[in-house]
Amino acid sequence: MNTTILRSMMMTSLRDKTLFPVGLFVGLGLYIDTPGYAPRLMVGVMALGALFWAMAGQSFQVLQQRNKGVYKLLRVAPLPSLSFIWWMIVSRTILGVGMSGLIVLTGVLLFDIRVTAAGLAWSVLLLIAGSLCFTALGFFVANLARNEAQVNMIANLLYVPMVFGSEAFYSLEKAPAWLAAAGKAFPFQYLVDGLNRTLVLGESLPLFPLLMLVLFTVIGLLLAAVTFRWDEHQALLGARG
Amino acid sequence: MQTLVEARNLRKTYRGRVVVDGVDLLLERGETVAIIGPNGAGKSTTLDIILGLKKADGGTVRFWRPDPLGRIGVQLQQTPFFPGLGALENLKLFASFYRVKLTEARARELLELCGLADATGTEASRLSGGQQKRLAIAASLVHDPELVFLDEPTAALDPKARKEVHALIGKLAKSGTTVVFTSHDMEEVHRLAARVVMIRQGRIAAEGAPEELCARFGVADLADLYVKLVEEADEGDEGDEGVRT
Repeated sequence: MNTTILRSMMMTSLRDKTLFPVGLFVGLGLYIDTPGYAPRLMVGVMALGALFWAMAGQSFQVLQQRNKGVYKLLRVAPLPSLSFIWWMIVSRTILGVGMSGLIVLTGVLLFDIRVTAAGLAWSVLLLIAGSLCFTALGFFVANLARNEAQVNMIANLLYVPMVFGSEAFYSLEKAPAWLAAAGKAFPFQYLVDGLNRTLVLGESLPLFPLLMLVLFTVIGLLLAAVTFRWDEHQALLGARG
Repeated sequence: MQTLVEARNLRKTYRGRVVVDGVDLLLERGETVAIIGPNGAGKSTTLDIILGLKKADGGTVRFWRPDPLGRIGVQLQQTPFFPGLGALENLKLFASFYRVKLTEARARELLELCGLADATGTEASRLSGGQQKRLAIAASLVHDPELVFLDEPTAALDPKARKEVHALIGKLAKSGTTVVFTSHDMEEVHRLAARVVMIRQGRIAAEGAPEELCARFGVADLADLYVKLVEEADEGDEGDEGVRT
């Protein structure tokens, strides 16, 4: 089952979701030719790619599967639904980390960015935590939404403070204090911070960002579990209509 | 004859409205049963309760074995395929839901049975409506179930596709599989079902073989019976005030 789910994800959305971050990185990297900006841009694009792939990708997939009755079918089959959901999350995380690897490779080959083996290893750990966190939020978004338009709307409500309140593409040193504070209330900034420390500054395990990502993952999983709906007609919070 | 499902006195209320009101339903091995009734009559809720998808407020459901899930196949009105995968790969994924390793040969056999031999590698979403329905039925058969529930298997299909699905249900019945299906097409019901269960306002309004029912109610065919029973219910509604609670 696991390889088939992985292949289904690859066939349907990987091309678009890979081309976008790599294209963004190459385009902005060539356009903004400021010394030292490329590594920071690489980290920003990696984090943004992970956010979109895990959160948006997962929420659309969950909505589609729920509305098509996949979860309903799982409930009348012996396979525990959690086992299927777990493999979806694992597949998405594996592909997400692989996509980030492609961005790093682009950075190394095109912008001469130097990355240490330790930095790569820590960044994989951060990306796994980030992907799990955004995937959990993706489930939460899908649970709140009834259709694709609502998924877009709810996801955008989360993206805006996350991305603009982070240091993914610019420094927040001169930004209003409330903007930086808003960013810290979401997990995205911690992924950006952690990746910056490991891949740009060469620090070892960034414990604080990692712990914050784990904390947000737990919150996201709780929100996802409490609001999960087996079928499109089921009301939120488990009340079945 | 062995009883596969014995549902007794099923009851379900939504927000003060009674949707299933003391339904008794027996399903015997090898029979083909049609569950009919107007929209909102309680057909789907009854089946959902039997399948464990909805919790009944009252009543009992007994199966012929303690672990029936692995022996029951379900085809939903929606066609839940995984994008990017071909028909054969979709079947293999559905088989994993039942913890069955579907061999290539068995998958091809199923596709052939469902008239999809030429569509093995075709991405499921590119199949026609009729082919998708037949693939959904094939997906419900990946674990060789003894009992299959088909929810409106021919809804929104053109006559040709409808005929293909009829042939498939006929083959299933002939193979000894117990088939339970819902439909609004009375001609189809007459042709395929050995027993018809009409649900109206959450209760069983009529039950029996098609010819027997027509004779009992003095109507020419099942369509007339359906109209007669629905009109009776509507007249009853006009006499009552509000919904039953």
